[in-house]
Amino acid sequence: MPNIIVDRISKTFGNLQAVKNVSFEVNPGEIFGLLGPNGAGKTTSIRIMLDIFKADSGTVSILGGAMTEEKKNRIGYLPEERGLYQDIQLERCLVYLATLKGLEESEARGRINDYLEKFDLADARKKKVKELSKGMQQKAQLITTLVHKPEVVIIDEPFSALDPVNTQMVKDLLKEERHRGTTIVMCTHQMHQVEELADRIALINAGETVLYGGLTEIRRRFASDGVLVRAVNSLPSAIPGVQEIRPHNSSTLLKLENGKTPQEVLNTLIHQGIILEHFEIALPSLDEIFIQVVNHESE
Amino acid sequence: MKKTLLILKNELITALTRKSFLITLVLLPLTSFIILLVISGLQKSGQDTSAMLENLFVPASLSSAEGFVDNSGLMKEIPDEIANALIRYNTEEDARAALNAGLISAYFIVPDDYLEKGDVFYIRPDFNPMGSTQQSSSIKSLIAFNLSGGNPALAYRLQDPINAIEVSLSNQEQRDSDHWLTFFLPYIITFLFYIVILTSSSLLLNSISTEKQNRVMEILLTSLTPSQVLTGKIIALGLTGLLQTVVWLGAGLLMLRYSGRAFALSAAFQLPLSIMAWGVLFFIFGYAVFASLMAGIGALVPNLREGSQLTTVVILPMIIPLVFISALINTPNSPLSVFLSMFPLTAPVSMMTRLSATQVPFWQASLALLLLALTAVFLVRASASLFKAQNLLTGQTFTVAGFLKALAGK
Repeated sequence: MPNIIVDRISKTFGNLQAVKNVSFEVNPGEIFGLLGPNGAGKTTSIRIMLDIFKADSGTVSILGGAMTEEKKNRIGYLPEERGLYQDIQLERCLVYLATLKGLEESEARGRINDYLEKFDLADARKKKVKELSKGMQQKAQLITTLVHKPEVVIIDEPFSALDPVNTQMVKDLLKEERHRGTTIVMCTHQMHQVEELADRIALINAGETVLYGGLTEIRRRFASDGVLVRAVNSLPSAIPGVQEIRPHNSSTLLKLENGKTPQEVLNTLIHQGIILEHFEIALPSLDEIFIQVVNHESE
Repeated sequence: MKKTLLILKNELITALTRKSFLITLVLLPLTSFIILLVISGLQKSGQDTSAMLENLFVPASLSSAEGFVDNSGLMKEIPDEIANALIRYNTEEDARAALNAGLISAYFIVPDDYLEKGDVFYIRPDFNPMGSTQQSSSIKSLIAFNLSGGNPALAYRLQDPINAIEVSLSNQEQRDSDHWLTFFLPYIITFLFYIVILTSSSLLLNSISTEKQNRVMEILLTSLTPSQVLTGKIIALGLTGLLQTVVWLGAGLLMLRYSGRAFALSAAFQLPLSIMAWGVLFFIFGYAVFASLMAGIGALVPNLREGSQLTTVVILPMIIPLVFISALINTPNSPLSVFLSMFPLTAPVSMMTRLSATQVPFWQASLALLLLALTAVFLVRASASLFKAQNLLTGQTFTVAGFLKALAGK
């Protein structure tokens, strides 16, 4: 049974309909990408999921039903904009926010010490939060999200302000959490991170779900009739069954004629004595799909 | 409940460790202590502290002699006790010359039709609309002396015709009417209430606005309900205000008990317990009213700066009793004083001023408290309805009309 079921939720602020009939489900132990351009309605959807906002219509089931006080302690949330007390010491801030998630102070202190070591923030524990860099604050915020070992984690732009080393660390952490069985909903604009981490996605545009499903399935759905090849010897200028040949990064994209299959083109290349290093069906990147869908919607 | 207590604890720690709060908490008693210490030291060294204090309040230039020109012919003799303070000149030119020479600081002209009109001109080099009333005692003495035919006792009685001795038929314990604290107590209570209620409710506004601005509010709302957050904050900052009151009053009483003769609190002077009991009740409900209004503003404004500007709207009713403080103290049972002490937004300060100035009928204090309590309940509920996520997380522009509509639940 899915840990999160969002069923046709809608929300209007004044004259603006921020969310229109958005629906998706998130299964236990999966990383789910919630994508969309700025102002698409992602944050409003998240706030409805977290019961911060009430939906005008539609329902959200989280961890088996409506949100309760007890369930709030089983959910971790990383907002896009940092939410930390700036004028107090980092350790006190983290311990306080952890106790609000139901941890006893001593337990919270112990876990936070571990995380501070792990995130290389141990030396900063007595510093005021406002003295920390953006990257350090992002890591501190991540600690508040995970310290109570939540069953559901909702993270909005988790990689913003992080350098490549810390980005990799966070990615590894998210994979660990998934392995632990945590349900993760990830909002981000960084499509390559979604491609690497997410199992399934929903793309929201102008408050509506415009794409929803498994990542591979969606990419196949948007696949053009083409293959990517890389050969040891040079490719001929014309290949039977191929209507267009053009370079694509370090490979060459062969656009197939109507009715031709990748298998037929592969056989043709082999018969022509081409020694292939690499042959794959050309699937669009999530970036390309995102742009294609958003542009199509805006037209 | 546990989470509300966590909010309460955190707010208390934050408020009590705030530098500005600690400075205010300590600085006021400390400053008073230093002043008392200096005066006590002077007393011990045998100096006349009353005269020294008088010299502090009376401008030096006004302490010097003044002149007078009598065109009425009534001023036959100058009493010995004012002979050095009031110098006769035969013509106004002589008086003006003495003034220009710095021999006198001002002069009076008693015109020939004084008996008919009573006018006396007061000539001085600077302009001070209150000056003639401040410095008219010597000329009054002179005129009274001469009108009484040179009889000093009669002249004194003319100037100060009665010495009212109040005999109260009330069966309640009377405060020593001659004690200086009886005079100052209403002022002290008024300003104390004003400062403490304003400080506590401002801390609430500060706390909410800051949490909105640094986005902590969003994190809090994933763990608590808005009303849990509001409840924890209101109680914590109310306790902070009470603590501030206790520290200030306690320090004040200690200082009075152990200071020198001039300010020593006599054993006869007792602050009635009823005032303290009313004080606690009016503080609790008064704070609840103003804290709710501040919380409402905090919930609606996008940032602390805008919130601070808008506090004027809320504190205006608290300023009204300060404007009418003389009326409240001198005529505590006048219709205006009764109205101000009944109207819920002015009641906390006004009623405490009246209670410390006179004996307020029990029904009036009770009715004022009831009205205040009902207003507090209404405003706490209205503010709680404003304190919802949509207001707390969106940066909408604040309007007074919108605020009042929102308070009214529209």
